[in-house]
Amino acid sequence: MKAWLLLMASAGSLLAQTVLRSADGKEFWVEKPAPGESFQVYVGDGDVPPVLGAFSAGNGRLVFRPRFFLADEVRAIFRGVETRFPALRPAASPAAIVETVYPTVDRLPENLLKFYVVFSAPMQRGEAWQRLRLLQADGTPVELPFLEIDQELWDPANRRFTILFDPGRIKRGVLPLTEVGPALVAGRTYTLVVDAGWRDAAGAPLRTGLRKTFMVTEPERRPIEPLAWRVGAPPAGTREPLVVEFGRPLDAALALRLITADVAGQARLAAGETRWEFVPALPWAAGDHRLQIDVTLEDLAGNRVGRPFDVDVFNPVTTRITGETMALPFRVERR
Amino acid sequence: MVKVLSSLCFTAALALAAPAAELKSAGPLTFGPNGTLFAGDSAGGRIFAFETKDTKPAKGVTVEIKGVNTKIAALLGTTGDQILIADMAVNPISKNIYFSVARGRGPEAVPVILKADTAGNLSEFALAAAKQSSVSLSDVPAEGGRQRMEAITDLGFVDGNVVVAGLSNEDFASSLRSIPYPFQAATKGAGIEIFHGAHGRFETNAPVRTFVPYTIKDKAYILAAYTCTPLVRIPVSDLKPGAKVKGTTIAELGNRNRPLDMIAYEKDGRAYILMANSSRGVMKLTAEGLDVYAPITAQTEKQGVPYETVDSLKGVQQLDKYDATHAVTLADEAGSLNVRTIGLP
Repeated sequence: MKAWLLLMASAGSLLAQTVLRSADGKEFWVEKPAPGESFQVYVGDGDVPPVLGAFSAGNGRLVFRPRFFLADEVRAIFRGVETRFPALRPAASPAAIVETVYPTVDRLPENLLKFYVVFSAPMQRGEAWQRLRLLQADGTPVELPFLEIDQELWDPANRRFTILFDPGRIKRGVLPLTEVGPALVAGRTYTLVVDAGWRDAAGAPLRTGLRKTFMVTEPERRPIEPLAWRVGAPPAGTREPLVVEFGRPLDAALALRLITADVAGQARLAAGETRWEFVPALPWAAGDHRLQIDVTLEDLAGNRVGRPFDVDVFNPVTTRITGETMALPFRVERR
Repeated sequence: MVKVLSSLCFTAALALAAPAAELKSAGPLTFGPNGTLFAGDSAGGRIFAFETKDTKPAKGVTVEIKGVNTKIAALLGTTGDQILIADMAVNPISKNIYFSVARGRGPEAVPVILKADTAGNLSEFALAAAKQSSVSLSDVPAEGGRQRMEAITDLGFVDGNVVVAGLSNEDFASSLRSIPYPFQAATKGAGIEIFHGAHGRFETNAPVRTFVPYTIKDKAYILAAYTCTPLVRIPVSDLKPGAKVKGTTIAELGNRNRPLDMIAYEKDGRAYILMANSSRGVMKLTAEGLDVYAPITAQTEKQGVPYETVDSLKGVQQLDKYDATHAVTLADEAGSLNVRTIGLP
């Protein structure tokens, strides 16, 4: 067994025969190595390979540039002498919070499909299923309510996490439920818990966790009927919002993406995702306007435009939907 | 009774990347012919093909890499909690084992493909130096601020096509696509709609967690395992862009369980499927006569194809075929991820 001489090399230390690290941490080198001599750079202890990188020689130095920036503690070994370099990772302090959980309402249908958890900062992958729990009213967890897939469903910025309920745990009278029962039962109260230990992209835990308590209502099995929406048209010449009342909450992400106006502007959701408000970039022009609604729009239970969630697609129920989108006309009048 | 289900299907425009697209994330891996490695990139919404030139035949030998997670982290100069291993695939020619890895866990994570030789030594597969092509899975340009993404859950190479299973993070929809390789500039690939005889949209649109190409009486199928573990048989000849395909549920393998990976093999003249699961261990399914199992139309648990649980295999997360008589497993054993070849049971 070799007894390594352990040296903690502080920045600027210039001990001969040891490996040195540049101030920016991007290079390691030794001075005047003998021909054929080299050194190894390691992160982590035990039986591990040296880190990937490229050596180059010049000006009496043998320089190693790691393939990736080494933010953790580094060990370098030259002529049997180990030099340790402290971590360059700034200590991360808790900063991120859960901004919103969609749906924002606290009465949710028994056949709810998903939650969106929106964070204030980018988060880390790989630990979601340790950080989420669904509790019953007595505080005991619901067993495996969610579809725990390794490919965690984040948005590109790692700020919005999609939780899908396990399809086998959504009540509709089929097999898996006879064994384990549905995740949600109408009339009961549940709490979704987001654990504060969930780490953000900088490695810090959340500043605080989140508990969302909600009551479960009867399942929603009606298709979305845009023709039944209440459209409040604004007066011409103003930038007052166009207000559309859905009559029930819709999926937040889809409602913002799949309902579009025929003029430029900004849409937002309000009133627990039961209302869509649209502020035009320019004042409304008098006359006929239309909203485009992609028929893949869904409510909280996956019911689509003109088509409830769990129907035979060969059934005539869908026949009046002929296109991928439908138009909802409205008229802007002068005040 | 609800008969079918419905739709997935986003249209996919498959176009060759004009200037070479860069791999943004490294997900599912699979090998095609001549050492071609396919990688799914969920973040970039693309499928990549890399010519590995790793085509020197090797005989299967035993391989064991203990603590592959720790070793990969060390190689990439970081700690074990800052890497994620997405998939593992054996090059069927060289028997080198490839891993798709994320270095980092945030949005800036760097995708890396690593290769372990038959001695268990790890090195980086240099993506930039490899001849490559890719196709986009979407004809919708990624606008700024767009949040919809599709997670690629598995890839397979079947009869000259890359079969891609995916799942959206917004609409409740899964997708299955079949993309001819070599990728062609003007290939217009639509999703394929899979209708399950006995299941509602919940199952149909649940993601295909893993699938395996399989030949039954000279006809090519894929056997797809969905969440809550129905096993569905889908004829490959039906996997054409835009097609509506009828899948047949041939087994219910129990719930509270997620299928993780599958391989098909033969032993002593009989055909089997080996399936790793989240909570039901590794199942060995008899694959004889998969064409004759009656479709399951009633919702009952654990019927159809018979199986046994292989007690000696614990914590298996990834499986791939190694040679005619061996598989390679990636297993979580008390927090250490260990890679080893096993005799096919």
